[in-house]
Amino acid sequence: MSETSQPWTSRYSPKTIKDVAGNERSIRQLRDWIKSWDTGTPKQKAVFLYGPPGIGKTCSVVAIANELGLDLLEVNASDFRTKKKLEALIGRSIMQRITITGKKRLILFDEMEGVSGVQDRGGIAAIAKIIKTSRVPIVMIAASIGEAWEDKFRSLVNLSLLIEYDPVPWSEVCQKINIIMADLGIKIDDDVVETLADKCGGDLRSTINDLESISRGKTHVTKSDTEKMGYRDRKDYTPDALMKMFSAKTLKDARSIISKAHINYDTLFDWIYENLPTVLDDPRELSEGLEALSRADIYQTQGKKSQDYRLLKYMFNSMTGGVALARNKSQGTGLLKLVRKTVFKLGYQLKDFQVIEVKDGIQIKPVKYLKNDWRKVNTAFRDIGAEYIRGAGRWQLSYFRPPGLKWRYIKTYHSRRRQRSVAEKVAKLCHIGRNEAVAEVLPLIKVIYKDDKKMGKNLTEWLELDDKEVTWIKKS
Amino acid sequence: MSNGMWAEKYRPQTLNDMVNQTEIVSRLKNFVKDKNLPHLLFVGPAGTGKTTSILALARDLYGSGYRNYILELNASDERGINVIREKVKNFARTAAIASVVPFKILIMDEADSLTTAAQHALRRTMEIYTRTCRFCLIGNYSENIIEPIQSRCSVFRFGPLGEDHLRGYVNNIAEHENITIVPEGMDALYQASEGDLRKVTNLLQAATATQGGIVDDIAVYGILGRVSPGKVRDMINLGLKGEFLEAREVLRSLLIDEGLAADDVIRIIYSEILRLNIPEKQKVYLSDAVGVTDYRLTQGARAEIQLSALIAKLALSGEAMNG
Repeated sequence: MSETSQPWTSRYSPKTIKDVAGNERSIRQLRDWIKSWDTGTPKQKAVFLYGPPGIGKTCSVVAIANELGLDLLEVNASDFRTKKKLEALIGRSIMQRITITGKKRLILFDEMEGVSGVQDRGGIAAIAKIIKTSRVPIVMIAASIGEAWEDKFRSLVNLSLLIEYDPVPWSEVCQKINIIMADLGIKIDDDVVETLADKCGGDLRSTINDLESISRGKTHVTKSDTEKMGYRDRKDYTPDALMKMFSAKTLKDARSIISKAHINYDTLFDWIYENLPTVLDDPRELSEGLEALSRADIYQTQGKKSQDYRLLKYMFNSMTGGVALARNKSQGTGLLKLVRKTVFKLGYQLKDFQVIEVKDGIQIKPVKYLKNDWRKVNTAFRDIGAEYIRGAGRWQLSYFRPPGLKWRYIKTYHSRRRQRSVAEKVAKLCHIGRNEAVAEVLPLIKVIYKDDKKMGKNLTEWLELDDKEVTWIKKS
Repeated sequence: MSNGMWAEKYRPQTLNDMVNQTEIVSRLKNFVKDKNLPHLLFVGPAGTGKTTSILALARDLYGSGYRNYILELNASDERGINVIREKVKNFARTAAIASVVPFKILIMDEADSLTTAAQHALRRTMEIYTRTCRFCLIGNYSENIIEPIQSRCSVFRFGPLGEDHLRGYVNNIAEHENITIVPEGMDALYQASEGDLRKVTNLLQAATATQGGIVDDIAVYGILGRVSPGKVRDMINLGLKGEFLEAREVLRSLLIDEGLAADDVIRIIYSEILRLNIPEKQKVYLSDAVGVTDYRLTQGARAEIQLSALIAKLALSGEAMNG
């Protein structure tokens, strides 16, 4: 395939680490880990890269392999359906770090999210076995995240160094667009570049795809071209769809969000759950809406368990119509209430801030200069989901905010792992169950560490806690 | 003076050390004398001496090396009956050679949390290894243990401890640890203990850490406000006041940051609701709401969604109360 006929995402995929946009620290960490194999086998023989799609996880591995001159063996989810297939594919390559041609090997398991927990359990176990026996560094990549994710890959995650990838920063997305267009000799207006970067939410791959679809065969790309852009599975489109759903008056209209939102219904469910309390500010309607949502949850879990998709239609009806039609008196003032409470909590008065309504949310602007308080105020507003708009000196809070739950699970991963190990030690020594240790004893132990250093030290010895566990107790 | 968790430090080591549950203890002593025992089923509320009794019995029976002859499992920690069976198999298939007692003891805590199917599987395992292994099943409610298991076990019902026993136990610890507990502090400890010796001991230790040598009611209630039940109470109150978002935030921090099991959260919610100062009819309504939530959780529904729906119902209840 000649270079010009290639899709832009592969034509402009990074060749060196320098070319990869964003995630410098994660990439450096990954490279250092791979290089550490030259001086002996590191403690963790595999790494697990995770983060949203299109932000350069795979690209960075390929770029590092290029730069270090490694022989990269890439395996995709579809290849490790069965243990046998996987073994045939990997073969003896895990036993020998150096290939016949003298290159060092690197193994990449990509698209791990495609491994389904049930069918491919053999596959996951086989990978775990490979990691344990391997003499070659192994990189695993998964795009989806959350609690289920963690459960599914627990055995692998326990064996691996975890490296998180973040969305590509807006400015770097813009820069990449400009580089590509310069290379192709196509002129593009600045506002188009910014719109594209705005829309992608840090997913560089989808930005480049969008760019390609609106620019192919053009010499000058203008605003009118972006208007033809199709929807993509991205959070930025979901708020519009949610707005329509919450104002629907019929079940049919409410349900149409399922096809319109262009995100899978699990994610849509999370969006609805996240935002329902600010929309339904009347307690009766809130309760009704949440009851509908919790029924939808039951249909979903039962449907998945029994593999019987007959129940899905009820789930769709409850999570859309059940929620939307619960709305009657609600004014959607939940967001304002939230702002008001935050302002009071900060020790300010309502008159200290101006609230401006904009198309997709509200903006909050301090009336006078905040001085040293800015940082504190910024943290408080960010905690309720607002974003600071540079230059405008105000915060924006969207009517519909993305669900934060899954990220919260993954962000607290290490902390929860620590908790588990402490709880296991407590459970064993105190002759109780792990859950009971978490619920009844750990909270008291935390109090003891905080209030009585000496008793805390004594407990450290008694429970034989390591430094990391002690740090966790003191921090949480 | 500290030496680890006091609940362990002051746990009676032998049957002779046990001052409570005298009826049960004297029956257990006979087993030790005979060097034989049936399968045991210990049921009763938390912190009344079930685990202590079996550990003390094992020590009396096997001597100081008793740890080699017992295996402690917690049914709610193990992943499924197959894992349990495997562990039991490995433990039970070797006889207790070095001991004059020809069997080992398997202690299964929270056995009443096993599903009926799992209990039937367990019953089979008990039968297979009877020669080399005795089972001591521990739980809160005998109703949750299937009839065939109950009939194969000698059942011991641990009654709740009397107020005097509990106060005596606490005073003994205070004496050894050089703590003064003022009367209000003791009342607070007693109130909070719910007759659970382990709970009261842990609470006393934390209060001592906070307060130093003198424990009063403020210290005790201060601790209670800082631990999970306190946070659950905050969550309930926020819910009743209709502050849903804040209540949900507390829920998330309990489930995610503190890693509480949904079962524990709902258990605490339930006991807190019964204690609330609300009209009786509201208690019935809320108990039913908790029941619905609990039932759904047993069906595998997601904890946060279901508990959120429950919080929203609290708001309605709060509204009804305020007119």
